Amino acid sequence: MIKTIYLLIGTSVILAFTAGALANPSAYSLMKKIEDLQELTTDVRARVDLTQTKTDQGTKNINMLYYRRDSDDSFLIVMIAPETEKGNGYLRMGDNFWMYRCNTRTFQHVNRDESIGGSDAHADDFEKRKLTQLYEPAKDPVSGASVSEEKLGAIAVYKFRVTAKVNDVDYPLKVYWVRQDNGLPLKEQSFSKSGTLMQTAYFMNYTIVDGRYVPVKQLYIDEFEKGNRTLVEISGISTQRLDNAIFTKAYLENLSK
Amino acid sequence: MKFLLMISFRNLSRQKRRNLFLGSAMAFGVMIMVLANSFSHGISDILFNKIVVYVAGHVSVIPGEGRGRHLAIFRDKERLEKIVKKNAGDSVIDMDEGVGIFLRAIGNGRTENMVLVGINTGRTYDEKLLKEFDESFHLIEGDYRQLRSRAIENPVILSKEKAELLNVKRNDIIRIRFRNIFGQTQSGRLTVTGIMSNDNTFMQGVMFVELENLKGMMGYRPWECGSIQLTLRDPQRDAVAVADRIHAALVPGPAFIRATVTRGASRAGATVLPFMGNDEKKKKLMADSFRLVKGSMSDALSKDGVLMSATLARALGVRPGSTVEFRFRPKYEKEEASFSAEVSGIFAPDKWTGSETVYMHEALFYPRFYESLPDLAADARRAFIPAAGAPFKGALGTEWELVARARTTDDAKKNMRDITRRRVKAATIQVGSMYETASDVLKLEGVLNLITLTAVLVLFFIILIGVINTLRMTIRERTREIGTIRAIGMQRRDVRRIFILETAFLTLFASIAGVILAFIAMGVLSLIPFNVGDNPMGILLVRQHLHFLPTVGGILGNIALIMVIAVVTAFFPARRAANLSSAEALRHFE
Repeated sequence: MIKTIYLLIGTSVILAFTAGALANPSAYSLMKKIEDLQELTTDVRARVDLTQTKTDQGTKNINMLYYRRDSDDSFLIVMIAPETEKGNGYLRMGDNFWMYRCNTRTFQHVNRDESIGGSDAHADDFEKRKLTQLYEPAKDPVSGASVSEEKLGAIAVYKFRVTAKVNDVDYPLKVYWVRQDNGLPLKEQSFSKSGTLMQTAYFMNYTIVDGRYVPVKQLYIDEFEKGNRTLVEISGISTQRLDNAIFTKAYLENLSK
Repeated sequence: MKFLLMISFRNLSRQKRRNLFLGSAMAFGVMIMVLANSFSHGISDILFNKIVVYVAGHVSVIPGEGRGRHLAIFRDKERLEKIVKKNAGDSVIDMDEGVGIFLRAIGNGRTENMVLVGINTGRTYDEKLLKEFDESFHLIEGDYRQLRSRAIENPVILSKEKAELLNVKRNDIIRIRFRNIFGQTQSGRLTVTGIMSNDNTFMQGVMFVELENLKGMMGYRPWECGSIQLTLRDPQRDAVAVADRIHAALVPGPAFIRATVTRGASRAGATVLPFMGNDEKKKKLMADSFRLVKGSMSDALSKDGVLMSATLARALGVRPGSTVEFRFRPKYEKEEASFSAEVSGIFAPDKWTGSETVYMHEALFYPRFYESLPDLAADARRAFIPAAGAPFKGALGTEWELVARARTTDDAKKNMRDITRRRVKAATIQVGSMYETASDVLKLEGVLNLITLTAVLVLFFIILIGVINTLRMTIRERTREIGTIRAIGMQRRDVRRIFILETAFLTLFASIAGVILAFIAMGVLSLIPFNVGDNPMGILLVRQHLHFLPTVGGILGNIALIMVIAVVTAFFPARRAANLSSAEALRHFE
């Protein structure tokens, strides 16, 4: 009798381990993996090109230079196109965030909701914030599963939902599709507080910089106003240490002299 | 004197045609002056009672929390309203929450940027306010009471122009996208239940929804509010005084959380107090006032810094680096609130610091404090609040930061810049009168008044040249008559008075006629509808008609001004007539 009990326990333990090995990774581990794969620990300089298409306004190209230094929570954006925005800039230093207008040569305190260069991008989109600090895994309301397997085209992906654990995020609910082979996100859907799909993002191309993956081509489709879309292209990425003088008001002023 | 009055009156009727023409010119001038004055008052009425009152209120109390973005929120609506109501005084005719958001709206195949404003249809409003509201936002379809309907999904009322732009009619659905007070993207559906007409282009983009529905969509909890706006009976006279009174009453008390601190199985009661660690001077004050027994002062005063008294640390077995949990009962939520923090330093308690106390950096304290606001009045009995003489008292945080009263918009902006520069983590409360919050609108009133006054003065100058000319002619014609009356004994000053009285009578009668004509003209002009479409000048109309607001004081003032000018103008020719020698006057011949 005792032998039978031991046998049953032993079988159960082996089955549990096997199932564990075959089971999907947890949503949290997938979130951590996204962070680890994409987190740049050095200063960053890059050119960001936005091609914004709106049904009632046509296509608009917005180009900017982006400098980021996380050690003191700073970033600087210098607009280079369109012509009406050229020379304008946005400087973030710790808790302070300024917008610079080159025609009046003035700085104005703005908040994180400020639109960058007339685009749909907001200042908070350029901040470095960790996914796991902002969101936590949530179960699918239909299947009840935290992570499910799917195919995105021919690519095998894991799909998982996350909900905001802090108030100050753009979208309180997101769904991710990440590659099973390397954990990189391919698609992201963002939902409003009331659960309406507002935006779908496709991460179309990655490049490796200092061993980390940077999504250099991203497509954002506005699901609320059908036909609106923004293509984000990042180029000229450099991780060289940036001069302290870059993250100053004087630097922005000198650029427009 | 009676004799002089009789002669003056008789002289006036001697040259009927000439005086009739001159009187007509003066009456016309008076008519224009009264018209302009009433129009100018009408504009002021529109600006003060139909624009400023909806944009910012005559007096506004604007709360805010800043965490990278400005959150227009106050966590204890009941308390704020009580303080404002108690101190606003009798001149307040209405007090309401001002809640509104910019949003993107999608109608039937069309999109537009709009403003969604919450109105409370459940309460009773002053008759004057209701009339003014109807004049500004006149319903042409539907009923405001439907905004409260629970059977309809988010009922909304919008202007005819925007309904046409969005291609929606009653019962159609408008989809909206906006950011709630925390910056999260929110979407919703609104059902069109009413269409209103609005002449003011700036107000045509406004949609009305029930206040509670809007607050829910924006993320306010039932006990929280946005800004409070007051409507005054006489805003120009009382706005500043009311704002000053409310400001004086909003002095904050100390902020604290009376909590139970736990670590493992150990627990103890403690008072958690914030210190203003973002201010270097206050930080130094803390460093000078506390004696650390464990941990480093720089860690303890950093933005994650938590200082715990040695008594408490002993009771809980806490060392620097230990994580403790704080539990407390919020004022409005049923569930107990809790949060964890890592202790960075342990201090030796004294009579000023208290022995069951925890001092926390403002950046760490305030988000927890506001998220689950404790009942400070009830907890104050058990809490330890450092005495006024405590050397670090000035470094401790308060319930909110009261922004200094500003007298101009520029001062108000400067004050807010100062708050941002100091990186204050406590909520702010700003009390403003319309002279700071809506100064641009008020400047418009000043400019319009100046233009009106200049035009009227030019017109009157032309008319007065006519008066002088007529008087000179009269004097010349009556030179021999002046000689005769002077010869039979009339004094120089009486001669002068006759002419002045004659002008005064003429001006008075002309003024009365001018006022009557002005009222007739106002009546006629008010009947003409103006369809201005998108023209911003529509701001000057009430339901597509010109808005005149004559006042007794204004009309009497106009008449008095004209009389004074006419009498002063008549004085010099009259003095010339009085100074003629009787012999020379009698010899005069034309």
